Amino acid sequence: MKFLLQTLSLSYVRRHRAKTFLTLLGVVVGVATYVAVVGARGSLLGGIRETVDRMAGKAQLQLTQEGGVPEELQEAIRERPGIRAQAPVIEQVVVPERDELGSLLVLGVDLLGDREMRDYGFEGEDADLDDPLLFLAQADSVAVARPLAERAGLKVGDVLVLKLPAGPRSVTIRGLLTPKGFAEAFGGNLVVMDVYAAQELFGRGRRFDRLEVRLEEGVTLDAATATLRAVVPPNVKVETPDRRSGQMEKLVANFAAGFDVTSGFALGLGAFLIYNAFSVAVNRRRRDIGTLRALGATPRQVQALFLLEALALGLAGSILGVLAGVGLTRAALDVMRQGAEQVYGVTASSEARLTFPLVLQGLALGLLASLAGALAPSRAAAAVSPTEAFAKGVHQAGGVWSWRRVASGAALLAVTVAFGVRPPVSGMAMILSIVALGAFSALLVVGPVSHRLLAFGAPLVARLFPVAGRLASDALLSSPRRSAGTVTAMTLALTFAVGIGGYIEATTATLVRWMRDILTSDIYVRASANFARPDYRFAPEVKDDLLAVPGVRSVESYRAPRLEYRGETIVLASIEMEAMLDRTRHDWVEGSEEIARREVGRGGSCTVSDNFARKFDLGVGDVVELPGARGTVRLPIAAVVKDYTSDRGTVFVDRRTFLAAFEDDRVDVFDVNLAAGADAGKVRDAIRTKLQGRMPALVSTKREFVADVEKAIDAFYALMQVTLVLALAVGVLGIVTSLLISVVERTREIGLLKALGALGGQIRSSVALEALALSAAAFLLSLPLGTLLALFVEKTVAVAFAGWSLPHETPWLLLGQLLVALPFLSAVSAWVPARQAARTPVTEALEYE
Amino acid sequence: MLQLKDVRKVHEGKARVVALDGVSLSIGEGEMVAVMGPSGSGKSTLLNLMGGLDVPTSGTLLVAGADLASKSEEERSLFRRTHVSYVFQAYHLMPTLSAALNVELPLHLAGRPAAEARERALKTLAEVGLSGRTTHLPDELSGGERQRVAIARALVTGAPLLLADEPTGNLDTAKGEEILQLLKSIHEARGTTIVMVTHDPHAAAACERVVKLRDGRVVEDSRG
Repeated sequence: MKFLLQTLSLSYVRRHRAKTFLTLLGVVVGVATYVAVVGARGSLLGGIRETVDRMAGKAQLQLTQEGGVPEELQEAIRERPGIRAQAPVIEQVVVPERDELGSLLVLGVDLLGDREMRDYGFEGEDADLDDPLLFLAQADSVAVARPLAERAGLKVGDVLVLKLPAGPRSVTIRGLLTPKGFAEAFGGNLVVMDVYAAQELFGRGRRFDRLEVRLEEGVTLDAATATLRAVVPPNVKVETPDRRSGQMEKLVANFAAGFDVTSGFALGLGAFLIYNAFSVAVNRRRRDIGTLRALGATPRQVQALFLLEALALGLAGSILGVLAGVGLTRAALDVMRQGAEQVYGVTASSEARLTFPLVLQGLALGLLASLAGALAPSRAAAAVSPTEAFAKGVHQAGGVWSWRRVASGAALLAVTVAFGVRPPVSGMAMILSIVALGAFSALLVVGPVSHRLLAFGAPLVARLFPVAGRLASDALLSSPRRSAGTVTAMTLALTFAVGIGGYIEATTATLVRWMRDILTSDIYVRASANFARPDYRFAPEVKDDLLAVPGVRSVESYRAPRLEYRGETIVLASIEMEAMLDRTRHDWVEGSEEIARREVGRGGSCTVSDNFARKFDLGVGDVVELPGARGTVRLPIAAVVKDYTSDRGTVFVDRRTFLAAFEDDRVDVFDVNLAAGADAGKVRDAIRTKLQGRMPALVSTKREFVADVEKAIDAFYALMQVTLVLALAVGVLGIVTSLLISVVERTREIGLLKALGALGGQIRSSVALEALALSAAAFLLSLPLGTLLALFVEKTVAVAFAGWSLPHETPWLLLGQLLVALPFLSAVSAWVPARQAARTPVTEALEYE
Repeated sequence: MLQLKDVRKVHEGKARVVALDGVSLSIGEGEMVAVMGPSGSGKSTLLNLMGGLDVPTSGTLLVAGADLASKSEEERSLFRRTHVSYVFQAYHLMPTLSAALNVELPLHLAGRPAAEARERALKTLAEVGLSGRTTHLPDELSGGERQRVAIARALVTGAPLLLADEPTGNLDTAKGEEILQLLKSIHEARGTTIVMVTHDPHAAAACERVVKLRDGRVVEDSRG
């Protein structure tokens, strides 16, 4: 076998370098996408856990509260039995003026008491840190992790400028941290400062982000939790760092898991490319196989030869794919991290780490995909009969139309649709199984149907392009298996594009429409660019400042903390309900605007979003119980409304209800409505001038605010769109491979045509037309399949993960883009094969066997 | 060496074709037999059955005492390695392998050590007069030389039965004559049983016995 691999297989590779390279590229792209996406997801989730763990140090419990823990809480828990130490913490991710350093995590701690929690390991020329009072005496003092200082070329005494919502602020480096323990958190991009200076710098008022608690020896977590619970208000969470990171991981896990489908799809397409290439190779090497069989090679030896070839190709492709994946992981992680931060307010280290098991997994999956792709062709090779292989003339593989195959494919597709509409069980495994079943049934149906489609379109092509069209039709129809295989690969790629791209377009359109109905105020004033985790909250009095600005008619105060409800992090949105209802339009699922005005605006009830109702199986008349400032708050549901504020669900209450129950009067966003005729731009500038220097404030007109939200939506889908393009690239690779093979297979025919007077241009045109026909057939077939995929994602997957059933929209923009891009891609795909065909010397071609 | 009794071969397809229609034939060890007949008479089908490349639809076919029809595809392949070798009209050499590697090929398939395969291949190439062309690719050889490589490949396993399908069909008269003489000398020196399908009466005349087929039946069996 070694001899056969070293001689026959290698020589085949040498003779078909371009085709082998493209097949290899298919595996490389598949494995690289998988490794990058799964690696980035692992790094993201690992980064969350690691950041929380490292920052926690020796703390065993953490006290947190939405919007911050009030300073007085320190007194409440001081000297309680079992509590050895407590320390306040402020955590803030900031971007330095020097962008190239990446995001920095600023940790505000009480340097006098915090050594009970963390080992600081100050080093170098920082003798004054032995006396932290000197450090504390200067409010702009910070200590940075040594690797960060080295990377940035900073030393003690240097100034670091941070970009904050209130404008750039300078801090001075007065200490360096040894890179171990907590100083390694957030990939070492860590800055430590005094907690009270951090309160001031980040506008936290008299609150901390959390209080950390270390217990006496021998005190159990349960006992300490009970002690603390007894003295803190119910809306303060007492939890272990582990549980906190678990919650954060859970919040972004679904977001990250969605990418698994994408990477799996890329890998599947890689396998299909292998299948296509090997199917054609078997066809092409029939005579050699026949000779081997005549010389005594057993069918098993022949099959093993092809499988070993696939294994070698898979190994090479997987190694290259893993290497490429390592490079891509960083980029994928950046996109994912931004999405997680923007949408969920979760921060994590930006360090991309590829674990050894993932590298092995990438290699194994690449090999498996290659073997799976080559299995059927290798069996076909083993079944080659020597007598048929030696028959005169070029072997024409049998037709691809089979009623049995089409009928079973259609039946399976029907079963897939049935499962898709009503999955028998819930969960990611079921969703992946349905996708796999759908892909398999498409594999059965698409090949035969594409052949009929090409046969149907061939006369038209021949009529439109009498010479080149006829040649192209002949090439397509005389190799039905090759054509069907290529169309199938491209159809799968396009189905993915139309399905997922359609879903993204439908979601975006739905959100934009919803925003148009909801975001109807003229100006929005917010303290932070991050929608999910505002770093600063306005005092309620700012409302009066805004009302005093000429042109302002009314101002609503929006506050939306994230609370834990039945293990999920939901949003509790509060606003002046009646004023808001006056200017917005809602799609009521249960109840009505009138009921909402009466019972929520004036009666202390709540409305819930439709995804909240679906997720927790609640409706009008049920009661939502949330942890308030003085005990459990019971909110009867008065109405259910379609709403896309949070994919974990949203509860809406009137601001008065919120103030009474949660005792938190701060504001996240002011919705400012202008008097008739007032110029939004001028009022925006006037508000900016008024608030400047007093507090961080991002003031935007409605259009600017909506554009910001749209940018956040785009960031959320950015990685998915990248993988979409990769899937399309794999599909295009399939077409190039197929055309190269087509040209080689038809060498003699092309020589004959040239001998009969065909011009190079005519031959080139025929190859280009062949490419166009293949992608046109794939495009037509992908329309119904892509629509089914989009419906599945919009109606079933979205409901399973976010509780949303999204209305389907035909993705006209995407279809238009594909209609423009496909002919272009076809022409590009045909470029090299067409040149190769046109340059074939006549005499050599006629002798080609 | 070969016993055929009432062998029929029917190809079922769009049209039903009876390739062999009750052929009975016995070929003894060490015979050199020509099989002649017009196109479509069943010559190649007969050769394929004798080598176990195909199996009869009915009838009995014994090769070196073995009933090939009762063997599996895998077993027939293993049988071929030791008992049967082929020479084709179109040579069917692997275009990317040198002459020596082409000759080594069946030995590698049979799992022989590389050194032994190389030694036997070179020896056999010398036997067919190609010791100076061992590193040449098929493309670099003349038609006659290619057929000599193919014959060397057939001889290298030492199989007692050599089946040749139009071995001179692609060659000019002089080269064809050389190949015939080579086959004859092999037959005489090694005692190899040779069955040769041919259209060429001159080639047939080089054999000790001529079997003529028409419409899938033996119509003449004569010894020269």
